[in-house]
Amino acid sequence: MAVPDDPPSDESLLARYRTGDAAAFEALYARHRQGLYRFLVSLCNKAELAEEIYQETWLSLIRSSTQPQGRASFRTWLFQIARNRLIDHWRKHGVHNPLHDSYDEQLHAQADDSAGPEQQLSLSRDQARLDAALQDLPEDQREVFLLRLHADLEVPQIAALTHTPLETVKSRLRYAQQKLRRLLAEEVPV
Amino acid sequence: MTDPRHTPDDELIQHFRQHSTGEPPASLDAFILNAARREAPAPQPSLWQRWLHACQRPRWQMAFATVAGLALMIGVVMRSPVPQPNIPTATFSALHEDAAQPAPQAFSAPAPAPMARIAAAPKAESAPVQAEIAGALADQSVAKMRKRAPVARPSLEQGLREIIRLREAGDSKAADEQLLALHARFPNEDLPARLEALQKR
Repeated sequence: MAVPDDPPSDESLLARYRTGDAAAFEALYARHRQGLYRFLVSLCNKAELAEEIYQETWLSLIRSSTQPQGRASFRTWLFQIARNRLIDHWRKHGVHNPLHDSYDEQLHAQADDSAGPEQQLSLSRDQARLDAALQDLPEDQREVFLLRLHADLEVPQIAALTHTPLETVKSRLRYAQQKLRRLLAEEVPV
Repeated sequence: MTDPRHTPDDELIQHFRQHSTGEPPASLDAFILNAARREAPAPQPSLWQRWLHACQRPRWQMAFATVAGLALMIGVVMRSPVPQPNIPTATFSALHEDAAQPAPQAFSAPAPAPMARIAAAPKAESAPVQAEIAGALADQSVAKMRKRAPVARPSLEQGLREIIRLREAGDSKAADEQLLALHARFPNEDLPARLEALQKR
């Protein structure tokens, strides 16, 4: 029985598109359309703005002739383009960029007393509550958590993308998860 | 099977992934995909296609035609056959030439200058074969010419001298036969008188 071939990498699909293979782009788009869209919607919390940035990001990729540089993966590159576009938009419209706020991680760290193994807690599945919990996070924590959630990036990749020290990214991700768990905790009726 | 690295943080991520919603609008998908198709770079032609494309340009057509014409001419010139000796003509010529002239010289009949140059041109591959064929033909022609050419008969004086030589050598029988043969050839000649005069000289 023939073993199915591994799917082509994002980078090879992009390279094929650059040589005129339009079908390669469709495969690439299908892989990342959902993650990128959800990342932008959750990050800026405005569907219209998210769609605008989403469209600009893909068109920028289509019209560019460049490839991901160095060891950067296509996914890191794509989300970095989207993030830069969003920051440019905020800057252009005089909106304060919340991603650049210096944030004292320790001040916002709260003891996570809801995740003990002895406690029978579950996470809320209510969509509105999930969205509200995400929006309740500080911007930089939310960005790190969304990159982990929707772009499926590892901590070092997030650090490279956001130009943030690795340890800072780790702590932001940890605080974000602690806060989300606390906000979404529901006691299981026994 | 449980992943030993599975942590509560991973559970939180999975929980969010399971309950995340939101899709880009279909119109946005269509717009982006259409833009991608429209602005996709033209596929780069293969080497063969580029060659064909170059061949279709008039400037290159002239160049290729010139090169092809030259190659054709060189090919025709290099492969033209070596002029074969015309045996019947040679034999015919030999019959009309002086009998003393060597027969193989019939092959050196003057050829047109270009053909002579072609025949003289080096032909590494065919030279041995051609030489062999030419040699065989020459032998054959010589044999034919020897067979067909008239035997050169000695003149009257030569015949008389031969008779004197034979008599001096003591071969009177052969001398008499020679004298009879000369008499048959020259019946009107006074052979004894001429023989005597020659002896006196």
